[in-house]
Amino acid sequence: MAVDKLILILLVLPLLGALVNGTLGKRFSNALVGGIATGVMLVSFCCAVLVFNQTNDTKIIHLFNLLKLNDFHINASLQVDALSIWMTLIVTGVGTLIHVFSMGYMSHDKGFYKFFTYLNLFIFSMLLLILGSNYFVLFFGWEGVGICSYLLIGFHYSDAEKGMANSIAARKAFIMNRIGDAGLLIGLFLILAQFNTLEFTQIAEKLALDPISANGAIVGITLCLFIAATGKSAQIPLFTWLPDAMAGPTPVSALIHAATMVTAGIYLVVRSNFLFELAPLTKDIILGIGFATSMVAAFIAMRQNDIKKVLAYSTVSQLGLMFVALGMGAYTVAIFHVTTHAFFKALLFLGSGSVIHAMSDEQDIRLMGGLAKKLPITHLTFLIGTLAIAGFPLLSGFYSKDEILGHALAHSPILYGTIMISVALTAAYMFRLYFLVFHGKFRGGEQLESHVHESKAIMTFPLVVLAILSIFGGLLNLPGIFLKNGTHWLQNFLNAHTAGLEKIHAEHASHTTILALMAVASTMTIAILIWAYYNYVKKNRLALADKELVGWQLFSNAKLYIDELYNFLFVKPIEYVSKMAYSIIEIKVLNQGIFGFANLFGKAGSLLRYWQTGLLSSYLFWMVIGLIGLISYYIIKLQFWNF
Amino acid sequence: MELLIIPLVFGLISLILPSSWSKLIGGVGAIASLALACVHLNGFDPLTQTILASSNKMAFGLTFNFGYDAFGLVMVMLTNAIIPIILLSNWNRELANNKLFTALVFFMQLGLLGLFTAQDGMLFYIFWEFTLIPIFLLLYWFGAKENNKVLFKFFIYTLIGSLAMLLALIALGSSANSFAYADLKNVQLTQEVACWIMSGFLLAFAIKIPLFPFHTWQPATYTSSPMAGTMLLSALMLKMALFGMIKWMLPLTSEGIEIMKWPVIILGTIGIIYGAIIAIKQNDIKTLFAFASISHLGLIAAGIMLFNTAAWSGAVIQIINHSLISIGLFLAADILEKRSGTRNLSELGGIAKLAPRFGFWFAVTVFAALSIPFSAGFIGEFILIKELFNFHLIVGILAATSLILGAVYMLRSYQLSMFGAPKISSFEDLSWNEIAVFIILSLLILGIGLCSSQIIEYTEPAFRVLTENLTSNQQIIE
Repeated sequence: MAVDKLILILLVLPLLGALVNGTLGKRFSNALVGGIATGVMLVSFCCAVLVFNQTNDTKIIHLFNLLKLNDFHINASLQVDALSIWMTLIVTGVGTLIHVFSMGYMSHDKGFYKFFTYLNLFIFSMLLLILGSNYFVLFFGWEGVGICSYLLIGFHYSDAEKGMANSIAARKAFIMNRIGDAGLLIGLFLILAQFNTLEFTQIAEKLALDPISANGAIVGITLCLFIAATGKSAQIPLFTWLPDAMAGPTPVSALIHAATMVTAGIYLVVRSNFLFELAPLTKDIILGIGFATSMVAAFIAMRQNDIKKVLAYSTVSQLGLMFVALGMGAYTVAIFHVTTHAFFKALLFLGSGSVIHAMSDEQDIRLMGGLAKKLPITHLTFLIGTLAIAGFPLLSGFYSKDEILGHALAHSPILYGTIMISVALTAAYMFRLYFLVFHGKFRGGEQLESHVHESKAIMTFPLVVLAILSIFGGLLNLPGIFLKNGTHWLQNFLNAHTAGLEKIHAEHASHTTILALMAVASTMTIAILIWAYYNYVKKNRLALADKELVGWQLFSNAKLYIDELYNFLFVKPIEYVSKMAYSIIEIKVLNQGIFGFANLFGKAGSLLRYWQTGLLSSYLFWMVIGLIGLISYYIIKLQFWNF
Repeated sequence: MELLIIPLVFGLISLILPSSWSKLIGGVGAIASLALACVHLNGFDPLTQTILASSNKMAFGLTFNFGYDAFGLVMVMLTNAIIPIILLSNWNRELANNKLFTALVFFMQLGLLGLFTAQDGMLFYIFWEFTLIPIFLLLYWFGAKENNKVLFKFFIYTLIGSLAMLLALIALGSSANSFAYADLKNVQLTQEVACWIMSGFLLAFAIKIPLFPFHTWQPATYTSSPMAGTMLLSALMLKMALFGMIKWMLPLTSEGIEIMKWPVIILGTIGIIYGAIIAIKQNDIKTLFAFASISHLGLIAAGIMLFNTAAWSGAVIQIINHSLISIGLFLAADILEKRSGTRNLSELGGIAKLAPRFGFWFAVTVFAALSIPFSAGFIGEFILIKELFNFHLIVGILAATSLILGAVYMLRSYQLSMFGAPKISSFEDLSWNEIAVFIILSLLILGIGLCSSQIIEYTEPAFRVLTENLTSNQQIIE
């Protein structure tokens, strides 16, 4: 089939799935609802694979005119190129697996059909975001995923205990995302003012003809786009919503808050690479923010005790690393890490979901331990995910992190050194999590222990598939030392068929440097693994209760007090301004002061009340008013007329 | 002319017949009006104008000219579509069985239609004033009884504004020796005079819209009105002012635009922020929606002052969108108030669990108010903010913050009322007519979101005529 038809099918199917389940799902059985939702995902994924096989050039699919104003027009059109189809493969592929998992995970939930409606709707929005050929369609999807994210974070809003907390988390996520959205909107207007078009390819062409690097507009545009990216991809200063977003059901965390939506910011920057390449200042800022986020989040993850919170901060930290790659201009490397991260982080989240399911919804790792025997498949796959994210040799994360580290070394040895710290922290908190959950003795009490059971096949199957991908995902982009031909496949694929990227050649280090880097990284990871084993299993040092924490652990556990800081700096002042504006400007100044007709006419009103005793008198009153009005009107008229 | 006659006739019939007939008459009349508007829409070519009635110049240069261009027809269509929705949302309330209420709604419709189709300055003014009578009586008879003070404030406020507009119209008419629209438009003014005349119009419109700081009548009036009154005010009466700005004020006094656009755009922008900021901590849900409305309308008013077809295209979509959304929001607010006995957000909570259908449709309305993709507001706000941004960077950025603040107060109001643990034991879910209203509103918002480019194309010729230079006026209006 032709590419444009396939793309349309893969885009529209999730929407159709959402519509069918949303309107009729209440009457369907759970199996049918899940079947429809997962079925459309599977077909979408197959379409994506077919398109992928035919992708050899950038193709624009024009759908219809969205908006035509006198000076510009916006098309609803899609762009199929290496970047968009690669992201589509990730979204539909990982999305399908998470749909399968959800059918098991959500099977006892009353809102089963609603859940799948939202999930499908999310996929549709995400695909719009990725496949749009201009910033407007991207913005459309961008807003759409934000709303789906809101709906899914607050999915259990009526929960007796956590309902309010869930909905507060959802609101926080939505508002922080909206701050980014406002940035994107302003960026869009700046782009329109500068280029008079929002089409990616046209902007790239215009820039290629006339690079106006000196122009300050590009810096403004790229900064606005980056603000948008910090909102969606949870970077400093807009990152605090992501850990809170863990209030959503675990498959949501895996799909939206690990594998797909949060990488939209990275996608946006890669998609706009031709702009960012002309704004070295912005790239430096991205590098700095990405690095800082990566460190801060990794630090906080060290002493979190909620299994999902650890993974959430880990996601923030990994996204920070991707932004470091973007800041260095290594766009394809960032996408490579997006890919491997989607595999292992989705795996870890689903694994944690399986654990939480087994633990009767308990998420505190201090109450877990020794689950390895009881949950063999979950344990094995979680181990693979942990090793992959920690950068254990030859697993997927190893390669993608190594690419970032290689670029960092080429950029500056200091950057390399500091990023190594972040990588080391990643390994440390992940192994801590792994050992505390799966080894040692069970700490949750006998009653809880008796309920612990391995999840159904429908939940373990996606885990196995993702584990396999986490092991072999690195093969997509092998560095030069392993194969003479066919190395850096993903990088070459993306470079060849994505607007702007073809001109950017990533720096290549020599083989010896690469080998040396790999050796250092591997040694470090293995050393931390041994330390963690020694510390948490042999010496049985368990996670401490909040009261026993000392020194840096306090700060890590309290999330560096950033929520409190934001509350003090932004939330409270705005609420204060709101109250003051109402009580002072609105009431005192406007209502009682200069526009204080209230008092005046209050008195008039009490006088006139004598006229208001019954219906008849009020009629009379109005007749009089009307007559007076009419007469004065004619008088004025005559005066003016005759002069 | 039947456009005006139908509401008049049905209004009179409902006065004569007993109250038990009110619902029937209301339904039939509203549907008949809507059907007639559809007929007009069907037979209209957007490149032309339709004349409904015309007369020669009478005493004092008055004429009896009615007609509409594409924009006027859109407003007629809006009015005739909103009136049945308002009646439908009242269907299960006591008021629906009151013949006075039904008659007043029809007289209101008559006033609005007259205003939107008037092609003579004095007719415009007369209908402008006329609409005040039914709304005032509606608020007076059916509103909260203790609020005479509020009502007088509202009345005096709008009366002062109208007076200023009357003076402006007379000044214009006396130099044209006629009040016919075409003649008024052809008057050549110096910039200074144009500014004065525009100020006259502006005072009337700024109070009606309302623009900051002329809004102080609004929150109190909204909270003390019966639901239908609030709906008529926010969905239709405020739109008279926006319509007046586009159709009357700016084309007639375009010489003054360069000076006058600054204060209005600045006030509009202040209103966007001010309304939103106050809404953030409001606990009275109706007051909250009133301030949200000030925020939304500030954006539209600022956009209209840009005096170009693109901004007006955005404005017309937002005008329609705001009408639909405010009906949805005030219906939801009324349902909350009537069935829980309070409008105070801190006393509400957990209603989504007690009344899931209401929870769902209220959420849909809230999201529509947040201008999510596929809703009418998405395109409308995008165009308006874009045009303001082109006008001035700072104004654009400030307008864009409404995106964030809007999310803060809308989600807060929804969350506090609907989520968490229920604070009351029972809450009656939506009745059939309320569900129907929500469904109709949602479909319209969705449909306008999807067809926004058609609406823009439809009204664009009319806007081009209205924004064209004075020199070419003669060719356009015969």
